[in-house]
Amino acid sequence: MESAGGSRETGSPEVSEHGLKENAIGFRDALIIGIASTAPAYSLAAVIGLVVVVVGVQAPAVLLASFIPMFFVATAFYYMNRADQDCGTTFSWVTRAMGPYLGWIGGWAICVTGILVVGSLADVAARYTYIFFGLDGLAGSKVAITLFAVVIIAATTALCVIGTELSARIQDVMIIAQVGALLLFAVVALVRVYGGTAPEGSLVPKLSWFSPFAVDTPSALIAGLLIGVFIYWGWESSVNLTEETENSESAPGLAAVASTVILLVTYLSVAAAVVGFGGVGTAERFADDDAILSTLATGVLGSPWDKLVVLAVLTSALASTQTTILPASRTVLSMARANAIPSALGATHPRFLTPHVSTIVVGALATLWYVPLNFLSENFLFDTLSALSLMIAFYYALTGFACAIYYRHELFKSAKNFLFIGLAPMVGALVLAYLFFRSIIDLASPDASYTGGSFLGLGLPLVIGLGFLLLGVILEIIWRLGGHGSFFGRRPETVSPEIAAGRARVKETAGAPPEED
Amino acid sequence: MPGCLILGYDDTPSARAALDVAIEQAKRFDERLVILFAYAPPGRSVGEEYSEHRRVLEEFGSVATSKAADKATAEGVDVEVLLVAERPSIALENAARARGARLIVVGTYGESPLRSAILGATPHKLLQFSETPVLCVPAGPR
Repeated sequence: MESAGGSRETGSPEVSEHGLKENAIGFRDALIIGIASTAPAYSLAAVIGLVVVVVGVQAPAVLLASFIPMFFVATAFYYMNRADQDCGTTFSWVTRAMGPYLGWIGGWAICVTGILVVGSLADVAARYTYIFFGLDGLAGSKVAITLFAVVIIAATTALCVIGTELSARIQDVMIIAQVGALLLFAVVALVRVYGGTAPEGSLVPKLSWFSPFAVDTPSALIAGLLIGVFIYWGWESSVNLTEETENSESAPGLAAVASTVILLVTYLSVAAAVVGFGGVGTAERFADDDAILSTLATGVLGSPWDKLVVLAVLTSALASTQTTILPASRTVLSMARANAIPSALGATHPRFLTPHVSTIVVGALATLWYVPLNFLSENFLFDTLSALSLMIAFYYALTGFACAIYYRHELFKSAKNFLFIGLAPMVGALVLAYLFFRSIIDLASPDASYTGGSFLGLGLPLVIGLGFLLLGVILEIIWRLGGHGSFFGRRPETVSPEIAAGRARVKETAGAPPEED
Repeated sequence: MPGCLILGYDDTPSARAALDVAIEQAKRFDERLVILFAYAPPGRSVGEEYSEHRRVLEEFGSVATSKAADKATAEGVDVEVLLVAERPSIALENAARARGARLIVVGTYGESPLRSAILGATPHKLLQFSETPVLCVPAGPR
């Protein structure tokens, strides 16, 4: 007779030691995840107008250039994930490498970005739903959009609590349709531009559009890069996946490369198509208005094919509302378990087994942020996106530095270690840190804000971005004053050589103080 | 080898009701009681890091099942505990098939069929494809 909890089975035989089914993720899955987590259609709709406003015809160049720091920082995510697969990601990793104070702020930045962006995502999903069903009156009404967006946030939060995810098959179809619609739009637009059937004002693409060096001023390039960072946000997920099947086959690695190529091709061709077909004027007229893609699609594809692009943006925004709530709530879970925030936030629902408290808190805060701000600021989306980019750059840079620091004893053991674990994350982090500080300076002037919105003489995006980081520092100090030595007493560590060499996996001490050797 | 029956257990009121019925069954047929707690590994579909969440679920599961196991043991039933990282309906069916179980016992919330379908209730799913007979126990006052 066995005592309680005696015999344990980690799962059916094909389940590996850390719970994921080995070979569960094949080439197609990894490809889909890589594309899905960046939500290309939504990202493009939200960002393309802004990029054109900032850098004109060099929009494709900026999208290309912003990929480079993202690529470098993704190597940091890959290696940190190998050492510590914590759902707190940056929070857990920076805490390990650079101590609890910086780690806390990193976790805070992740949560805040998630909370701030959910409203924008739901807003886009609501607007495009109206457009898709031809309800143009509702699509133009802020009240109607806000109401529906709140319903979407509530429904998605509920889905995240119940733990239901769309069936993988439906998700696959949606992703492929999304990229397909975008590419169709780009190809038809470019064919019409070259064929001379595009409307007045269209421009034939030049090679210089793709050259970052052709951008007029350095500050325009920096502003563009910071926005560009946003469209690759989430892309690192595809890199992390390679871990699961690393030893068995190279399919996931290939898939990560393939999804990246597809993403780049989609972004560059759609950017070139938007600028080419509509000319700079059209994009500038829309600027922060994400209706740019749907409006141009009507011109390019005609009815009813333009609905394909509308549907692509709609599904992309809907899906990423869910995939944005999840990481934010998981970071809250990890922080709560590490005693970095009140432990009540880490509660798990007895029936659905999801972190329901943190999920509901994230959903509620997202609504509380979105609704008033949407009515206060005409250009809510623009200012939030700039602020978000600031915070994304902040925590990506932090993660890049954390990787090089965490692995510092391993960097000089081989050229490969030095290049991929040390140099690449450092370069990525330095570029993002530079972007972060340069844009603080640039954004300090109210003129830099497209909206002209200002507060205490500072641009609104900066107030949002820095304001939230400062709020984080204040909350952290309050939490520290309340004691919590088990978290704040943690010392920075380094990776163990065994794990660095990939010979062993870390025991899951994530979030909790590590065991002494 | 004596027969066995599988109990899906998550320490909710209906699961506790199901535990009572399962203990009764195990005693009457002199069978081993397999107490199974299953949790879907989070984040698989989006490539998320997940370990802290998984630890929470494992802790939750071992606390829940140990309570149930203590109770069954106290009643003199031969007990086996399983924690499985898989969706509950699939885990129950797999475990039942692998052990040639006579019966799967699960608790039900007594929800309407539509609500069960929306929430993805385990008994609702299990009834669709299980090859092993399923006994559903409502949470009602006992």
